[in-house]
Amino acid sequence: MQKHELEKQFEKQISENEQLLFKVCHTYAYNQADREDLFQEIVIQVWKAFPSFNGESKFSTWLYRVAINTAINGLRKTRNFITSYEPDKLPANFSDDSRSEAEEEQFQEMYKAIGQLNQVEKAIVMLYMEDHSYAEMEEILGVGQGNLRVKMTRIKDKLRQLTRNN
Amino acid sequence: MELDDLKQRWKEKTNQKPTNKSIMEMIQHKSYGPVAALKRSYRKQVMVMLLIPFLFLLTNMDDISRPLTSVLYWCYVVFCIGMAAFSINNYMIADRMQRMDGVLKENLEQQITLLQTRMKWKIVGLRVVMLFFIVLVEVLPYFQHYRMLDKWHSLPVFTRYGAYAGLLILQYFINPLVLQHKFGRHLTSLKELVAEL
Repeated sequence: MQKHELEKQFEKQISENEQLLFKVCHTYAYNQADREDLFQEIVIQVWKAFPSFNGESKFSTWLYRVAINTAINGLRKTRNFITSYEPDKLPANFSDDSRSEAEEEQFQEMYKAIGQLNQVEKAIVMLYMEDHSYAEMEEILGVGQGNLRVKMTRIKDKLRQLTRNN
Repeated sequence: MELDDLKQRWKEKTNQKPTNKSIMEMIQHKSYGPVAALKRSYRKQVMVMLLIPFLFLLTNMDDISRPLTSVLYWCYVVFCIGMAAFSINNYMIADRMQRMDGVLKENLEQQITLLQTRMKWKIVGLRVVMLFFIVLVEVLPYFQHYRMLDKWHSLPVFTRYGAYAGLLILQYFINPLVLQHKFGRHLTSLKELVAEL
């Protein structure tokens, strides 16, 4: 395939699936600058790996893999990415608009608690929140479905604990 | 509040686009990830190592036969080629580390294996380099006279060999510590993540 054609196909695929990348950025980075950096880094890594996409899995599944791998490995040493268990560095808010104050507060608390999970747990929560089946999660993370179910139960308990403590 | 109650809110909130840059503009940028930085530094190392012998020849153009007949010069050429080969090997390891399209668990396990391989090669490589220079310093005077080695060879054999042994012992302990400082934390966190899976 010619480079121009490849670029066109790449741009189309990314545009169709960009929401997915936004979610990974919002899960792993907590301020605008970091999200921008992570988004760019993911797009670069996807572009590099794009020629090797062979259609064995859905494009979105493959994209999730690249995005999560990049978020976990790709930017470890740069700037002030928030790693797990650094609650002081977590965002004060992630607010916009229109919902009731109580609801917004609850969301902020949960978002903050998710920020305190480790990188793997964050990935599981993100996929769960996006209503992915355990089979899809297995395809992305490489963890058995039974194991994922157990982990999800533990993560929910952990989040309950964290929101109670915050 | 349960996680499930927030699903809708989560979907709305995390839909915000982080940047207005176009996709095609982004792919023109360099990657700023740690592996990409490593690859850049290995590329530089290869170039520098291959350039040094030529630069040395250039600075001795007035009497080019001198470096060309010097055992030390040719040993240095061998050393530079060895270092360049080592950097190419590291570059290839880093290149494999940069592949991000595998499932998360396999990707993390591969990162660990590659990082451990790299650390092992670095330890072995440094030992070989040190032994190479020790042998060189001891053997060189039998072939050619170098003023800078006269003083060293005038010392008693016991002192010289003691110093070599000291150096080797020191690097035996220090080298793993330096590597641990440079990559240990990253390796530990990768292992923790794999354990989580």
